[in-house]
Amino acid sequence: MDTFSPVKTSPELRRRKATTIDIVLSINSRDYHLDLDSRVTLLDALREHVGLTGSKKGCDHGQCGACTVHLDGKRVLSCLTLAASAAGKAITTIEGLSQEDGLLHPMQQAFLEHDALQCGYCTPGQIMSAVACVTEGHADTDDDIREYMSGNLCRCAAYPNIVEAIKHARDAVLDSAKEHRS
Amino acid sequence: MDAPTPIESGTIGKAIPRIDGRLKVTGAARYPSDVAVADSAYAFLVTSTIARGRIKAVHLDEAKAVEGMLDILTHENMHGKIRKARFFSKGGYTATSVVPLDSSKIWHAGQIIAVVIAETFEAAREAAHKIRFDYVERKAVATFDPRHPRPSSWSLTGDDVKVGDPQKAFDDASVKVDAAYSTPIQHHNPIELYTTTCVWSGDQLTIYEPSQYVHGLKNGVASQLGLKADKVRVVSPFVGGAFGGKAAVTPRTSLIALAAKRLNRPVKLVATRDQGYTVSSHRAETQHRIRISADSNGTLTSLTHEGWEVTSRSDEYKVAGTETTALMYACPNIATKVHLVHADRNTPGFMRSPPEVPYMFALESAMDELAVSLGMDPVELRRINDTAVSPIDGKPYSSRSLMTCYDRAAASFGWSRRKSAPGSMTNGDWLVGWGCATCCYPTNVAPAAVRVTLAPNGTVRVQTAGHDIGTGAYTAIALTAAEGLGVPVEDVNVELGDSTLPPSPVAGGSNATASICNAVALACQELLGRMAEAASKSDGPLTGMDPAAMRMRDGRLSAPDGISESLKVALARLSFGPVETTTKYTPDVAPTAIKLTGHALLGKGIPVMTAGTNAGDHIQYAFGAEFVEVRIHRRTREIRVPRIVGAFAAGRIVSPTTARSQLLGGMIWGIGSALHEATDIDPRAARYMNADLAEYLIPVNADIGEVDVIFVPEEDTKVNALGIKGLGELGNVGTNAAIANAVYHATGRRIRDLPIRMENLL
Amino acid sequence: MRPFAYERAKDLTSAIAAAGPANRPSLDAPIHYLAGGTTLLDLMKLDVMVPEGIVDINPLSPSLSEIRIDEDGASLGALARMSDVAHHPEIERGYPVVSQTLKLAASAQLRNMATLGGNVLQRTRCAYFRDVSWKACNKRDPGSGCAALDGCNRMHAVLGVSDHCIATYPGDFAQALIALDAIVHLNGPTGQRDISFHALHRLPGDTPHVETVLSAGEIISGFRIPASRVARRSLYVKVRDRESYEFAVTSAAVALDLQDGRVADVRIALGGVATVPWRAREAEVILRGGLLDEANARRAAEAAFAMAEIRGDNQYKPELGRRTLVRALMQAAQMEV
Repeated sequence: MDTFSPVKTSPELRRRKATTIDIVLSINSRDYHLDLDSRVTLLDALREHVGLTGSKKGCDHGQCGACTVHLDGKRVLSCLTLAASAAGKAITTIEGLSQEDGLLHPMQQAFLEHDALQCGYCTPGQIMSAVACVTEGHADTDDDIREYMSGNLCRCAAYPNIVEAIKHARDAVLDSAKEHRS
Repeated sequence: MDAPTPIESGTIGKAIPRIDGRLKVTGAARYPSDVAVADSAYAFLVTSTIARGRIKAVHLDEAKAVEGMLDILTHENMHGKIRKARFFSKGGYTATSVVPLDSSKIWHAGQIIAVVIAETFEAAREAAHKIRFDYVERKAVATFDPRHPRPSSWSLTGDDVKVGDPQKAFDDASVKVDAAYSTPIQHHNPIELYTTTCVWSGDQLTIYEPSQYVHGLKNGVASQLGLKADKVRVVSPFVGGAFGGKAAVTPRTSLIALAAKRLNRPVKLVATRDQGYTVSSHRAETQHRIRISADSNGTLTSLTHEGWEVTSRSDEYKVAGTETTALMYACPNIATKVHLVHADRNTPGFMRSPPEVPYMFALESAMDELAVSLGMDPVELRRINDTAVSPIDGKPYSSRSLMTCYDRAAASFGWSRRKSAPGSMTNGDWLVGWGCATCCYPTNVAPAAVRVTLAPNGTVRVQTAGHDIGTGAYTAIALTAAEGLGVPVEDVNVELGDSTLPPSPVAGGSNATASICNAVALACQELLGRMAEAASKSDGPLTGMDPAAMRMRDGRLSAPDGISESLKVALARLSFGPVETTTKYTPDVAPTAIKLTGHALLGKGIPVMTAGTNAGDHIQYAFGAEFVEVRIHRRTREIRVPRIVGAFAAGRIVSPTTARSQLLGGMIWGIGSALHEATDIDPRAARYMNADLAEYLIPVNADIGEVDVIFVPEEDTKVNALGIKGLGELGNVGTNAAIANAVYHATGRRIRDLPIRMENLL
Repeated sequence: MRPFAYERAKDLTSAIAAAGPANRPSLDAPIHYLAGGTTLLDLMKLDVMVPEGIVDINPLSPSLSEIRIDEDGASLGALARMSDVAHHPEIERGYPVVSQTLKLAASAQLRNMATLGGNVLQRTRCAYFRDVSWKACNKRDPGSGCAALDGCNRMHAVLGVSDHCIATYPGDFAQALIALDAIVHLNGPTGQRDISFHALHRLPGDTPHVETVLSAGEIISGFRIPASRVARRSLYVKVRDRESYEFAVTSAAVALDLQDGRVADVRIALGGVATVPWRAREAEVILRGGLLDEANARRAAEAAFAMAEIRGDNQYKPELGRRTLVRALMQAAQMEV
């Protein structure tokens, strides 16, 4: 007995949303005009509507850090940010970290060299968090790095290598941040 | 085909950055839920809120009214649509024998009882929350029944061991320990959620799903849906952690496939974190009683290890780690028994180091207790009872470097500075404890098939339906192929995680590196043979030379007297075009049945592994020893682990960079297992109560101090031609006990139930 | 998550008007202010909170994020982010307990998002509250019962509990505010008012669904921490299973004025053990005027937990809470100020 047959819809009808908002998101220095359900989080906007899948969904409740992005240069969790709230802010994701010519950001390079990852799923969030950890000034000691990187769970447990990577990338990240400002 | 001869030292064993690392640090690695699928609809699961009973009525009206709603699957419209496939541990595919949405029966809390499909994720979630079910609820059994702690126990006849007369030996012994231990429910919690995207193209189904066994998933779903296996393709090039949770076919996949079929449109599911606790498997709780005795010199006289495990109503899943504990130390009198208790629970399954983690916790705790009773250093107790053969049947270990591991790790740790009296070491406000324990894991190995292609430009492509679940498989395979064909590792491309490729075994039981790399080496040898043969027969520098003596090295085909030819030139000259072979590897140690049918079964996605305990005329295990320091606050009893040292002997290490990370991660898993991880279950409702990542605790960066991994060199070509022992599961086997033993040393309190928490030490 | 109307606030007045009682279709589906979103979006995804409208007050940040410290105390805007206050040098120096409660909470990312106002209003982590399929939760559904009373309650409260609710207040920062006698500035449809921080949260009693004294549309605009002799010698001890990124199992905020080795004044607040931000005045009374030694600290701790009520899995909490307080007191006594 089939109590409910699938609805056959037209593409037009498919686009209708419950409560729709028109926003412009500035992601990695590029503007995206989006027409979204007001419930869409920044994470789902990135992944499902913009096609930037580097930011990951690991819990959707602010408990793992895999979705970490920068908003106006500060690390935040995109799963607990409404896309609408992020309008007008500069959003940087892992895809915006390396240069156009493919040159890796020093933090990406350090993660690669120190094997600061295994399955790689939490890695974009770890790297976004690590860059901020350095620029915030919380990478002076191993203990500081450990504490200020504790919002990013790594189930493969690459933690010691993550600490090593951040220590090695620290100066280069600070230099490039300085250059960026000047 | 003959086993490959060991290859001259080249790239195997070279520490290089993992070759898929660049994709991972840039966010470019496409995990299955990252794949862009045009015009996808979104699914959201609805799961049972009772653990036992049946669904009386389904109320869909509110959900149907949600804008953007497309379809709802329940047992009312799905009954009979999905066929029963055999349970994974019975030589089949599925994580549970419960057929998805087949009836109104509720087998466990969190069972999938509806799937909502809508235009958007937001609409699907909203509609899912608006479906109501009326149940007829029956009293559920959550775990071991406290009134009858060990009822209806089901002895696993056949696996039980009895050697000598352990009862008498125990009664007669001067030094003995009789203690009960327990381990909790735990969940894999890979950071990547359980996702499935299904796309139909005519009668061809493509499944994007993170998987530890793409051939199993392909064949399992095909059999559930009554499709020919070649109509199903599974794509899973990257897996965001698995740890056992992505090995067997879970109910979600066939449901999403059918949802996509009904809509004639791709459907994408990202199950929520809490749903992940019940739509896949878990590590069930265990209880143990160990009776162990020794003479006054510390020589073991008896070991009795009895275990109790919980399984679901629908399946008999057991880990039965007594198979390992019974053969760990020399002992003349041994008995083991394992009982299984059914509860109203989703079916448990493999979780990293399935049998050894709970069972070795019990044994290695008991060994420490025995050492305390003897007044003996715990390392010495292991040394006295070390054995080169199985104490059960006398079969030799292919190699066993356990005591070398102990000695290397102890030296690095500074074990000789340990004051043996409990509570005798402090650091400021912190009590300090040092403990150690044995790690071991059987060297399992399985048939594997690979395709290796040598392109005219000298680059190499290796293809197999294997899996890199963070283990470093891409890198290990590339290193093996680079060595086998004498090319730089940069010239090797590895393709994994696609069921259209030659079948590889499940990424489980630490078998994959040994199985696949041996297959790769064989394939390379065959390509070398073909190149050498052609070169010797053609008109070139190597004409007339003995092909059997030729090798490939540094991109050149070389004869022993130094004459050589560039591989690229040879390839062009011999005008082969690409040179390709598909090679099937069957372990030498496999029993005859696997030798005869292994590849046929593998092609059907049925796991065929030769266990380390069943490897011909010997047994094969990797070993390690771990030493930990715990600190316990003298007032508030927080337990921290500032350092841990592990030394491991696991045969030939193919990829030291990724192997080190595996062991490091394993040890940290062990820290979480000992101190943090436990899934709470409400005994009244048999429902998990901390199904998230905020209350189900796994270690964070700040929990981890110094972690030191030592590789103990070991050559063992009995295990397989390349001498590889798997190590993905080795690292977290001893940690539980090492920490419990260290906690005893710090406080004088013996904690026999995991996890060890502050409240146990007040 | 249910559909909702989304509105960005232009100024405080219009935000209050948008969220005020006139715009509330029903009590069950109110209009909520969105600040950091770390509680609201979390619970909306679980269907625990189902607002019909969201007024995004983040655009008000420029005017409501001040951090001003003067001789009379510290003024903190409600939209100041936890991280900004935590690392403010004058807060770190003059009000260590404030800085520490913020630094030891959540994660760096969450602290960059969450605001002070939202932080004090965060909801309990009780699993029976967070999962709407549990029928019995008086906090979600008044009169339905409390599944936690005889359920999994290792993390549940032992102080301020009732037969209707034992859900723990999960925050840290509130312990600093209650210890330092902070004032809360409120703005609402009927105007402005200031209340003492200890009056903000309500004990569960038989109405655990009413968590604060805020009226419909009322918003926290800021906090005032008055200067005091105890603020400088203050600290927060947070005890938890893992080293970071976990709610307190037990915690103690202590602010101390020691004169010639004697306790001239002391303030004590406890976290992880109570249903609301908890001031342990009984303990303060015991310590005032006396020597701060191990024995007196222990007596104070006994007094703090004299009324503790345990339920199954949380029976360890009073003793762990006492030890936490003793540790905090002894550490505070040794602070260099």
